[in-house]
Amino acid sequence: MAKNQKKQAAEIRFGPVLKVVLLCSLICGSAVGYVWQKNEIYKLGQFIRQRETRLTQLQNDNKRLADQLAILHSPVMLDQRGRELNLGLVPAQPAQVVRLDEPPPPDEKNPPRQFVQRPAAALTP
Amino acid sequence: MTNKLQIKRALLLLGFLGLAFGGLICRLVYLQAWRHDELSALARENTQREFVQVPRRGDIRDVNGNILATSVSVKTVCADPTLIGNQQAVVAQALAPLLKMNEAALFQKLLPRAVVSKNESGETVTNISRYVRLAKNVPEETWQRVVMTMTNLAFGVDENKLSRTNRAFFRDLRQSAIFAEPDQMRIYPNGALASQVIGFPAAAETNVNGHLVSQIVGCDGVELAMNKALSGAAGWRLTETDRQQHEVVALRDEDVFARDGLNVVLTIDSAVQHIVETALADAMQKHTPRSITGVVMRPSTGEILAMVTLPNYDPNQPATITPETRNRVITDVVEPGSTFKIVVVSGALNNGAVKFNDQFNCEQGHFAFAGHILHDHEPFGTLSTEGIITKSSNIGAAKIGIKLGEQSLYDYAWNYGFGQRTGIPLPGEARGILYPVKKWSKVSIAQIPMGHGVAVTRLQMLMAMAAIANDGWLMRPMIVSRLEDHDGNVVQRYQPQCVRRVINETTDKLMIEALKTVATKDGTAEGAAMKNYVVAGKTGTAQKAENGVYVSGKYLSSFIGFFPADDPQICISVVMDEPKEGYYGGQVCGPVFRDIAERCASYLNIPPDPKLMTNASPMVAETTARKFQNP
Repeated sequence: MAKNQKKQAAEIRFGPVLKVVLLCSLICGSAVGYVWQKNEIYKLGQFIRQRETRLTQLQNDNKRLADQLAILHSPVMLDQRGRELNLGLVPAQPAQVVRLDEPPPPDEKNPPRQFVQRPAAALTP
Repeated sequence: MTNKLQIKRALLLLGFLGLAFGGLICRLVYLQAWRHDELSALARENTQREFVQVPRRGDIRDVNGNILATSVSVKTVCADPTLIGNQQAVVAQALAPLLKMNEAALFQKLLPRAVVSKNESGETVTNISRYVRLAKNVPEETWQRVVMTMTNLAFGVDENKLSRTNRAFFRDLRQSAIFAEPDQMRIYPNGALASQVIGFPAAAETNVNGHLVSQIVGCDGVELAMNKALSGAAGWRLTETDRQQHEVVALRDEDVFARDGLNVVLTIDSAVQHIVETALADAMQKHTPRSITGVVMRPSTGEILAMVTLPNYDPNQPATITPETRNRVITDVVEPGSTFKIVVVSGALNNGAVKFNDQFNCEQGHFAFAGHILHDHEPFGTLSTEGIITKSSNIGAAKIGIKLGEQSLYDYAWNYGFGQRTGIPLPGEARGILYPVKKWSKVSIAQIPMGHGVAVTRLQMLMAMAAIANDGWLMRPMIVSRLEDHDGNVVQRYQPQCVRRVINETTDKLMIEALKTVATKDGTAEGAAMKNYVVAGKTGTAQKAENGVYVSGKYLSSFIGFFPADDPQICISVVMDEPKEGYYGGQVCGPVFRDIAERCASYLNIPPDPKLMTNASPMVAETTARKFQNP
């Protein structure tokens, strides 16, 4: 009996060891995961900051280019360019302008009928 | 025995541990509870940062969306002299060409300097300044080149052989010694175009949540009048930074975006403005007046399409701004001269005091009244009411004024808007001078009808003429059409406003008939007549007064008119101050009016008067005539 007891005491009990290993792994894994997550948050934060800076830069560039385009289209600039290039452009004289009467607005109650809107009977005589 | 010893040891260990933990707990309570407020504030101060986001100032645009004033992002380049050590010469040599600065001046700026200040306890302390401003309004591209230059800057030493401290010094010098702050610069791409209307800016430091922020503020014109709408609202970001002062985005607390300023869209049309400025510049060369003004307006709405005063200034170069370049259209009050006759004649016709065909003896150019002799510019015999306008007879106008009566004359002048601000949203508008009847002298009733004894702004006179062009309705002048956000969505639209009806429609038609005769061979402004449009208008030539005495040889000449007379589309005023080579309004201002009017008619596509379309092809004349018959 005593022999049996001694033998049992010397045996490696895998169950508790496994539990300890699992517990330690869990704690270590959580710690490593926490640090990794914090690191990722920091990296993503830096990435966001870079993107924000880039966005601001692009918005400024976009504004600058839009302004340039608007300035190039401005009547004053066009007039100056016309003079510089000596294109001989002059305003049209009233006698050179042909004015056409605007067509009357469509009647809401009786809209003009399209071909496809005709009844089928009208299409087939 | 063994057990007792073990228990003793365990208790001893427990006691030590208890004391240690007790000490820790005490320290914890001391730090976390006793000194909580102080230490938490210190911690916040060390890590938390508040960044103010300055809003972008809105644009000023013309009625078609063309940019008249805009803001561009620039940098203010600064330096921390404490990080430069004794390398000022190298840095100055590298940066001076980029910043367009004198190398010696830049060298001086980079030298460390002591700043004496008082600390919280009131003691005088001396610190080395860590902030010096090197250059303002540096474009983004230039700043990028500055960064590249600093990153690649060589100091003539092998840094691999240097100690760790020295290597860190050079690293900090390259990375942090020169830094930039975001800023804005106001740009006026068309230079002097509409400069007095737009105004000019100045940089001002405003306090936003306890932070001094550099902002652009308007100093004159629309920049000043609409400053609140243009400025927008500042935003802020409450966040934390690491040891290198880099933001830790994850610890961002508050992040409120700045609300950019609204775009102010004017009623000014830059093409019309350009036409008027060009025409006035030509007239300036020809007649060399002290100043010349021109205004173009839509009489039906009061929208101002162009407002020009020469000499003007370039708002990009504030040094060109002088009192001489003020917006004289609204700031200067002058005796209007004969253009004021439209007030007395229309008032008398509206009142019934005179009829359109009544005849007046103009006394051959000399009329004694209340101890004064009134003169005409040439002797006239008998003139009708219409003829008084056509010939611009002072004596005829005085007699109409006498028939109208003092109080009625004052009432009509007031109703036309004289003696009060027109309400144009521009700073510095004058009221003009219209004395109440009780302050009039005996001769006032004869002088005021010919434009003496009353002082008006050029805008007031134009508004009165525009009222006649608008069936007798006096409008409030409009200079701002709408406010838009930066996506072009309309936030607020300003509508035309009627002030009051001054004369009835019948009187108005008679007045227009009379004014049509001015720009004819019989009238005083033959040079204002247009080829394809009937013009209605009135000339004015006022002798200038200095120190209460009329000065010979100094005149204020003007012509105010509108066209087409039967369907007025635009009303134009041209006024010259002390012109040379002629001084009569019709003589010097009439041709300028015609030049502006013809070019505006072409640009604005105003249909010509079919009666005057003599040189048109049959198809054109027929089409135009048909349109006039069936509008």
